Amino acid sequence: MTNSSQQFDEELHSLLVVMAKEGILNAAKGMSDMVGEQLTVSQPLVKRIPIREISNLLGGPEAEAVGIYLRVEGQIGGQMMLVVPYPKALELVDLMMSVPIGTTQTLGSIERSALQELGNLTGSFFLNAVAATTGLNSRPSPPAVLVDMIGAIIDIILATSDTLSETVLMLQAKFMRDGREADADFWIIPDRNTIENMVKRE
Amino acid sequence: MEKIITVGLGEYAVSQDPDEILVAYGLGSCVGIGMYDQRINLAGLLHALLPIHPMGSADQQSRYVDTGIKLLMDEMARKGADRSRLIVRMAGGANMLVAPGFTGSFNIGTRNIEAAYSTLYSLKMSIAGKEVGGTTGRTVKFYVKDGRMTIRSIGNQEREV
Repeated sequence: MTNSSQQFDEELHSLLVVMAKEGILNAAKGMSDMVGEQLTVSQPLVKRIPIREISNLLGGPEAEAVGIYLRVEGQIGGQMMLVVPYPKALELVDLMMSVPIGTTQTLGSIERSALQELGNLTGSFFLNAVAATTGLNSRPSPPAVLVDMIGAIIDIILATSDTLSETVLMLQAKFMRDGREADADFWIIPDRNTIENMVKRE
Repeated sequence: MEKIITVGLGEYAVSQDPDEILVAYGLGSCVGIGMYDQRINLAGLLHALLPIHPMGSADQQSRYVDTGIKLLMDEMARKGADRSRLIVRMAGGANMLVAPGFTGSFNIGTRNIEAAYSTLYSLKMSIAGKEVGGTTGRTVKFYVKDGRMTIRSIGNQEREV
């Protein structure tokens, strides 16, 4: 890697840290409004993860997981995916539907809708924070909810993103409500030209 | 004793150790292409991500179906395989996103399958067994001892192709 691309990555990283924190906190506000109770989100960790390591971080490529996928279009373009291991997705649904942990056993249409809404809100609020920071406006597509092996879910991101980028950006956040919590990993994969535009504007 | 050799995304592996099983975990739109020369018990498995290698790109060739197949075949030939004896099996190429609004632009699974068919056809190689397409992920195991390929997907039993 050249010095300039390293510097480019560092600039991008610090920019994304600011936006991610703002975006995730905004998303928590949105979700609180949706469920009618205070839902908080921990300060997200922002990491750059090598493509090859993604699935190992989430229990291996064969582990069952839930992915909530959104495409971003407008002045900036890219992809967003909220990925949670299957048991954690059930807990997230419990949390959102205000029922005791362990109540949700399968993901039927109502549970999937709840997860879609979670993706929708997280995505929209995140993009609002991006717009506030950069002045670039964009909108998320309706979210798609996938339940499959983690490796297969991640293929979507890898196959549609810039194949030259060897790392993706990950935001790790913890959603909390009444002392209960559920982890979620949130992947942001900006299109290459978007990254360039964002850094130029900073 | 069985030994698992993991074939990661955009990689390929070749083995002649009958205890080894070449495994590509959690293939979604990716394809796994296995080649086997029974006479010398040589097996190779490719885990390719995208269909066609862009002309002039320095990107890793084994990530692509077309260049990956050729790389794997060359490696097998270097280890003594004869193309006329190679048995080919493949799996994967699912279209993971079937939600409205996504299907048109995300048919990478189908494009990967088509790239595999056309590359193998141009190399005059036929496919002995396959399980491709659909909308679910698969784990592919390729047994060095006999060239069997098995598939596992969530909620289904392991099956042979």
